[in-house]
Amino acid sequence: MADDAVLLSLIIALPFVGSLLAALLPANARNAEAWLAGLITVGILIIAAILWPKVAEPAVVRAQFEWLPEYGLNFVLRLDGFAWLFVLMIAGIGLLVVLYARYYMSPEDPVPRFFSFLLAFMGAMLGVVLSGNLIQIVLFWELTSLFSFLLIAYWHHSQSARDGARIALTVTAAGGLSLLAGMLLLGHIVGSYDLDVVLASGQKIVAHPLYLAALILVALGALTKSAQFPFHFWLPRAMAAPTPVSAYLHSATMVKAGVFLLARLWPAMAGHEYWFWVLAPVGVATLVIGAFLALFQQDLKGLLAYSTISHLGLITLLLGLGSPLAAVAAIFHIMNHATFKASLFMAAGIIDHEAGTRDVRRLGGLYRAMPITATLAMVAAASMAGVPLLNGFLSKEMFFAETIEYHVDTALDHLLPYIATVAGMFSVGYSLRLIHQVFFGPPATDLPHKPHDPVIWMLLPVGLLVLICLLVGIVPAQTVGGVLAVAVESVLRGQTPSYSLAVWHGFTPALLMSLVATAGGIVIYLSMLRYLSGNIEGAPLLRELKGKRLFERAIVFLSWRWAKGLEQVVSTARLQPQMRLLIGVTIMLALWSFYIRPVSLAPGSVQGADLEFMLVWLVGAACALGAAYQAKYHRLAAVILTGGTGLAVCLTFAWFSAPDLALTQLLVEVVTTVLLLLGLRWLPKRIEGISSETILSARLRRFRDLTIAVGGGAGLALLSYLVMTWPLTGSISSNFLERAYTEGGGRNVVNVLLVDFRGFDTLGEIAVLGVVAITVYALLRRFRPARDSVGLPEQKKFQNLYDADIQGSGKDPISAHYLLVPGLIMRLLFPVIAMMAVFLFMRGHDLPGGGFVAGLTFAIAFILQYMAGGARWVEARLRILPVRWIGVGLLAAALTGAGAWLFGRPFLTTAFAYVEVPVLGKLPLASALLFDFGVVALVLGATVLVLIALAHQSLRVYRAAAAARTTSTTGGRN
Amino acid sequence: MELIVSLAIGILAGSGIWLLLRPRTFQVIIGLSLLSYAVNLFIFGMGRLRVGAPPVLDPAAAGDISRYADPLPQALVLTAIVISFAMTALFLVVLLASRGLTRSDHVDGREGGS
Amino acid sequence: MNWHDHLVIAPIILPLIAGATMLLFDGRDRTVAAALNLVSTFGLLAIAITLVMGSAGPDPAAAVKVYRLGDWPAQFGIVLVVDRLSSMMLLLTAILACAALIFSLARWHSSGSYFHPLFQFLLMGLNGAFLTGDLFNLFVFFEVLLAASYGLALHGSGHARVRAGLHYIAVNLVAALVFLVGVSMVYGAAGTLNMADLAARIGSLPARERALLETGTSILGVAFLVKAAAWPLGFWLPGTYAAASAPVAALFSVMTKVGIYAILRIGFLLAGPEAAAGSAQFGDVWLLAAGAATILFAMVGMLASQDLAKLASFSVVVSSGTMLAVLGTNDVAIIGPALYYLVSSTLAIGAFFLLIELIERGRAPTDDILAVTLEAYGMEDEEEPGEDGEAGVAVPAILAVLGAAFIISALLLSGLPPLSGFVAKFAILAGALGRNDPSTLTGVAPAAWVLLVLLLLSGFVTLIAMVRAGIRSFWAVIEREVPRVRVIELAPVAVLLLLCLTLTLQAGPAMRFMQTTASGLHGSAAYIQGVLGPTAASTGGKP
Repeated sequence: MADDAVLLSLIIALPFVGSLLAALLPANARNAEAWLAGLITVGILIIAAILWPKVAEPAVVRAQFEWLPEYGLNFVLRLDGFAWLFVLMIAGIGLLVVLYARYYMSPEDPVPRFFSFLLAFMGAMLGVVLSGNLIQIVLFWELTSLFSFLLIAYWHHSQSARDGARIALTVTAAGGLSLLAGMLLLGHIVGSYDLDVVLASGQKIVAHPLYLAALILVALGALTKSAQFPFHFWLPRAMAAPTPVSAYLHSATMVKAGVFLLARLWPAMAGHEYWFWVLAPVGVATLVIGAFLALFQQDLKGLLAYSTISHLGLITLLLGLGSPLAAVAAIFHIMNHATFKASLFMAAGIIDHEAGTRDVRRLGGLYRAMPITATLAMVAAASMAGVPLLNGFLSKEMFFAETIEYHVDTALDHLLPYIATVAGMFSVGYSLRLIHQVFFGPPATDLPHKPHDPVIWMLLPVGLLVLICLLVGIVPAQTVGGVLAVAVESVLRGQTPSYSLAVWHGFTPALLMSLVATAGGIVIYLSMLRYLSGNIEGAPLLRELKGKRLFERAIVFLSWRWAKGLEQVVSTARLQPQMRLLIGVTIMLALWSFYIRPVSLAPGSVQGADLEFMLVWLVGAACALGAAYQAKYHRLAAVILTGGTGLAVCLTFAWFSAPDLALTQLLVEVVTTVLLLLGLRWLPKRIEGISSETILSARLRRFRDLTIAVGGGAGLALLSYLVMTWPLTGSISSNFLERAYTEGGGRNVVNVLLVDFRGFDTLGEIAVLGVVAITVYALLRRFRPARDSVGLPEQKKFQNLYDADIQGSGKDPISAHYLLVPGLIMRLLFPVIAMMAVFLFMRGHDLPGGGFVAGLTFAIAFILQYMAGGARWVEARLRILPVRWIGVGLLAAALTGAGAWLFGRPFLTTAFAYVEVPVLGKLPLASALLFDFGVVALVLGATVLVLIALAHQSLRVYRAAAAARTTSTTGGRN
Repeated sequence: MELIVSLAIGILAGSGIWLLLRPRTFQVIIGLSLLSYAVNLFIFGMGRLRVGAPPVLDPAAAGDISRYADPLPQALVLTAIVISFAMTALFLVVLLASRGLTRSDHVDGREGGS
Repeated sequence: MNWHDHLVIAPIILPLIAGATMLLFDGRDRTVAAALNLVSTFGLLAIAITLVMGSAGPDPAAAVKVYRLGDWPAQFGIVLVVDRLSSMMLLLTAILACAALIFSLARWHSSGSYFHPLFQFLLMGLNGAFLTGDLFNLFVFFEVLLAASYGLALHGSGHARVRAGLHYIAVNLVAALVFLVGVSMVYGAAGTLNMADLAARIGSLPARERALLETGTSILGVAFLVKAAAWPLGFWLPGTYAAASAPVAALFSVMTKVGIYAILRIGFLLAGPEAAAGSAQFGDVWLLAAGAATILFAMVGMLASQDLAKLASFSVVVSSGTMLAVLGTNDVAIIGPALYYLVSSTLAIGAFFLLIELIERGRAPTDDILAVTLEAYGMEDEEEPGEDGEAGVAVPAILAVLGAAFIISALLLSGLPPLSGFVAKFAILAGALGRNDPSTLTGVAPAAWVLLVLLLLSGFVTLIAMVRAGIRSFWAVIEREVPRVRVIELAPVAVLLLLCLTLTLQAGPAMRFMQTTASGLHGSAAYIQGVLGPTAASTGGKP
């Protein structure tokens, strides 16, 4: 069996490998490409031949490879009679198409792409028919969609090729997804995705409540692929592809995949009348509409396209009937249609190639110009029309015979014979038209080229196919009998009925129907002749029904306008709604979790209120509300008020025995305020008064925001109240208090937490500070102030004016002693504050203070210098490089932590000892101190960097102003 | 006491949120700092409130949680303060940059619905 | 403890030291920084691989490695925890980082100051968030990665970036405050911050504390959902990602996964068997709904998006929406496939972000408009098929390569066969449908139906959008100049896509790894044991 496995895998592998090779060949290697593709198809045919005896036993050749066994998805190759038949068609017709394409494609066509895609498509198609696993079928199914997309769009410089390809892909891929859903349901029903298991458990499937759902989903997949009404519209559009592609996709492969799947799943799913109800009506509709529309196509390929649709409808109908005999007919017709349709497409391509047009009206009398082509095409067309002694006739007889049989007792079932006959008439009609209008009648005069028969190599494929049509038509049993029998048996598995492939069954009703159809067809054609040679595009009645147009409109409508509109509804690009949602959602979720787990709002222990504290917060709250109110118009006031609130917070920390927090809060407050003040200068002026207060909508918006704000505030207040009034039991904090001194070596527990217990947090925190600092720096390097804020501030202008006035009047200008005394003091203060910082740093471990506080203090010393001397003065004297300090700080902290590794301890393990230092007294010299130094360095660096970056901007103005002045003076001079 | 603090938290948070929902970048930044005050107080409160506890450890009475203020939330608040300080600085600069590039101090970079 | 134990913290310390060292050199000279960055990033890759190897064992308890910082007992020091999930995320991050870094060296890293340090700090933040076992420490690392991401999102400055950045920063600052409220409530209710300790305590908490705790966790959830860009909290994402420079966006594609990761981790810890039955279903319905809404929103966005960058951003949203929806089904059987999906989609999106930049490079901004009009025109015309041009146009090699890459990523993102995107979606659906739900007539759980529809639909929409965009950028404009693409730009894309291919071929083993990961998550006993139990003491290693 192993060698069989190898052979099977080769069937799949060869085309894909070939496709890769083909892609790598140079653009003009037409012959090499053709040889490559040809040899591969021949190889596949040989393998198929080798495997035939085993298949004919009949046995199933299987090869299985593990892929995703846990989920029942294995790579299973499975060759039975039916699959073999398809391999034969795919490879055989593939070979002919390759030969044909070699001469069809023009020398300047980039053929590598063509052959590479063609081979890949062939591989995908073979994959579909050889798959032994439902999901694997879907996999190759979608691949056929993908590669057919690429093939149809081969001439992608033409709009119609692009559209055709896109539509084909959209429709078939959508079908593929629904097929996937169907297969998943089947898997759920059966409990396995293995094809053999599924085929064996027909009863189980049909009985399951999900049967109908699965059936519809699978059918959607198959019907879209086989271009069944109402999904047929993609197929005519796909005619934009090069003719070899059309000949391949629309005779033997792509469209046949759908009916292949239906036949494949026939034993598993056909055992219920739903099967009939889902498939038969679609088949009938497609059969009739396709045939009808085909008659009125002016484009030769269009005509063939619609006839393909119609014939596929016929096959679908046969499969939908659900009777074994019908299935036989279906399989037989699959073969026959492939042969004559492929040859007709090729013939059409030849005519297009030689005559330069495919418009039936412009063509005519080509028989004289190209007799061989004409003869071949006529035979093929006759077979398509179902003329006796041709293969088309046989399967159509079977079809007619089957329609008379009784399946499901319904009106549709009783009407079938008549409908079938009418459809037959039309197919005779369009076949006749093809023959008559193209090859007979007055020779066409205004053709782009002078038509003549092409090279023999281009005719050969057509000839071979036509020959098959004849042979099968005359001696069916001897030619295809065996193959068909095996194929049928492998599909029907034991239900195979007795059937005969004889040409002559005597005077049966079916024969009568054929005669009527033929006669009617002739009549229809003659009666329609004038209408057809007119300039009217498309069929009467149905001319307005353009599936493709509707579809494209739908797609465009959905994907552009509708989606764009909807996007406005479900999303927003504005910040305020996002903020609203964020806070709203938070409140909602909090409320919800309270709802599912109600909690008594009764407070526990409460400490007595304190009047002074209340006063503090009266002020604090007033400041907060004031800030909220003033932030729009009086920014300065808002900043100051915010500072006030900050002080209240700071006092609160102090009040509740958290000196470190109070200290830090205070310093951060100072620095933040300074930063904001530096920023204010770049914001636009805002004029009080006129604003949207009056507009109602604005009022409503504000009211909504107010509710959200109040809700959020109330919520947070409530939560905090609930928690604070309830004693915290079992907190881990007691451990800190226990170990802080004994193991952490410090009496200021908070500081020990920061540098030891949770030192890692601190490490992260200073990293954040550093990152932000360099981000700010990088951003401000590219800062360009808005034009309206480049000019000097008002006060400065006044001052300059005054200076100008008093010039020469003996008095000094104001700028001469700007902040003279305070400036001096500030400069003198610098070392003092620096000392203070050091002090705070050293004592941090035992008393309130620590690295962060120290760093900020130091930074404040610098801020003062800016205030005193201005940006220029400081930058001229600044000796430290803040960015480096940041780096040093981070490194110091990180390396201190890593030092513990040397002692085989985890990161940040600390060691400490106490040492006596003169002035400062007894100091804890913990390794944490080194870590804390890193913190100082970083905080100092980061803060100063941000300050410099911001303060430095003020210099831009002078530069800008100076630039303006020079230009103006020069302008004045000349 | 608890009531006052929670009311304070409520008011700060409320006015902060109100400002966050306003259209001007400057209002938003003020709102952010007000809200972060509220959150810092909130975190602090999660360790419960304690008046007049010794600021630093007395080695004699180490480990007696009932005599000290809960240190852990304080540590968290310190980290939170630092981070929100950094973020305020960053947001300030970004709003300046946006003001510079878009010539508008509207949060969406262009005037529009409030 | 030997060096191998310290490996756990290396993913955080290495980028920290690398980034800090870069700051010692002048920001304008990039050669040193680039070199350091390369060393550190590839070092991270090596470390991540070692960690994954270490945690790949079958026994979940052995897979949990704990690192107790400062050598304090787990409850009140900070611990780092490596298990399968975290090590996997580390590896994913490292891979994307390598790709993005290599790509950026071609040009992007020089379009602004401090690209390399910020890059390193972002990695530090990501790794920290994946490793830490402490809620507040998680907050800190969120801030680290956010701060760095702010810097990187603004890298290169410019009108669009700053405007998108402003929103991004504002929203995430508020989210950070929300996070803080949540964390502190958890502490106020349960008295601990250590995740494992929390999981161990939750069962025994009295009713009031329990209620407050869950309020806290659901507030935390909001912060995570913002990070994961769940609807309606994720509107900041498309703008920001689309505006960000290509390598940065590629790296960001793993950033939304941090939110997902946090939800996974904490959700499972608090809802694991150790927790009382009460919180088993906690928030699941909400997650499913949020996931569904997110996917639908992303679908609409994709259809409406004009340019490729927007498309990619929305596919980020799709992927996190899918993850949320799967988590919301509360079906353990499909967590494994979901993780597989997470990896595959993240890699694919990363590759796609890089690819876009190369595709767009060769095109004039007017092309899009031209193409759109062409399309509109094509709507109206009724030209005979195949009438024009009997000979096709040859495609330059480089365009062909880009086109192939585009098709592959389209297949990956839309979950079409045969690549890992398909495998992932199939496995999820097969898992969801495979579990027979006796309560329903059909044996299919309602949640499974929801997933089926969402996954297939989103796949289809992605396909439509991708095909449209692809046709427009490769075919509609014939006379487009061929972009100049350097190898170091093409290589990362190729590698990422190849990884997806390997995932496809090795689906079996990969899926098994994911499944064991998921089971390890679900039986969070192993995690809690690992952190608090006796095993912790031994790995803590006092000599």
